[in-house]
Amino acid sequence: MGRATARAPMDKPAAALNAPLFRLLVDQLDTAGRHVILDLGAASTPMLSLFGGSRCRVEIADLACDGGIGRINTETDPDILVTTAESLLPRHQSDDDVDLVFCWDMLNYLKPEAISALMNAIAARAHAGALAHALIVYSERSMPDRPGRFVPTGELKLVNHAAPAATMEAPRYSPEFLGRIMGNFAIEHARLLANGMQEFLFRLRT
Amino acid sequence: MFERGKKDEGLDEGADFRSAAPPRSSESPSPKAASRGGECAVIGRSIEINGDVRGNEDLRIEGDVSGTVELRNSNLTIGKEGKVRADVYAKSVTVDGTTEGDLYASERIVVHISANVRGNITAPKVGIEEGAKFKGSIEMDQGAVEKALGKAHLQGAIKPVGDRQSGKAADAKVGQKDVLKEAASGLNPSGVR
Repeated sequence: MGRATARAPMDKPAAALNAPLFRLLVDQLDTAGRHVILDLGAASTPMLSLFGGSRCRVEIADLACDGGIGRINTETDPDILVTTAESLLPRHQSDDDVDLVFCWDMLNYLKPEAISALMNAIAARAHAGALAHALIVYSERSMPDRPGRFVPTGELKLVNHAAPAATMEAPRYSPEFLGRIMGNFAIEHARLLANGMQEFLFRLRT
Repeated sequence: MFERGKKDEGLDEGADFRSAAPPRSSESPSPKAASRGGECAVIGRSIEINGDVRGNEDLRIEGDVSGTVELRNSNLTIGKEGKVRADVYAKSVTVDGTTEGDLYASERIVVHISANVRGNITAPKVGIEEGAKFKGSIEMDQGAVEKALGKAHLQGAIKPVGDRQSGKAADAKVGQKDVLKEAASGLNPSGVR
């Protein structure tokens, strides 16, 4: 993941990204039921609006905040890696396990060991069958040097509100590789999107 | 311990504080308009409290408070200089400063861009300004809010915003903006920034 100084090809206003698996997820959510949603990105008003009318609790991890990504990526001791991953997640309420995880593009910025530790920590607080949604840089060789700020629109598309940034080499995790490092989260669906990202839906195995 | 004064005028360096603050959105009231509001108690920036704070009047915290803050029928503003390490119970909570602990409100909680909030938020209406630092959970489920706060405190509380069932996230977004707007005009007693 080497650094480069070139600007990311994102200086123009971000277009709404059609992400069918995200739409499917939200459309199929039982609005009468209680859900716990874990968002690995930052809190956003559109996200709260989307789920504010449902019986949901939204947990915000904001991994990029306060150097969280750097901390977990640089940790080499396996035991400390586990505790670091747990510390990046909001305090768990044992009577309310996670049903749905929005990873957005966060996994692109984590090393494989960090992804494994994080997903294992999430699995420990999630229901069996919980779903995780992720956007992986796939076609492009480079990506912005910091995670995006993806927020849903009224049409259930996704818009990246992150400011233009320098670029870095993208890890371009393949489906096969992700299948090996996502712990008990198995790939359920994958789709290539118009912007060259691959959209994934993972399900936590029982 | 508590300084009493006009809202936004009990601060030691109120004028400097106002001028140093970043401009708010056009939805925000002007400092002049805001200063016409009623009175509220202020914990000044040099005050440190270790223990429980309870009361029945609006309060603005610019100092350090550790323990518990209970203003179940009143509004609490944690100013930009405020640092609160406490569980907070209030009618409404507006955060411009730093909090570590759980925030409960029977009406609404608003987190502004300058805020750094670590803990869980429980309220029927929640607004988080873009760029605010927040880590924790947000609970807007009416049942869970009632359980946390007790039904009596929710009499007259406003329904949660957003209506995903009608597929109108955009409409809900307007509702959320309204939370911030209402908070800026009514709940943030100072209108500072």
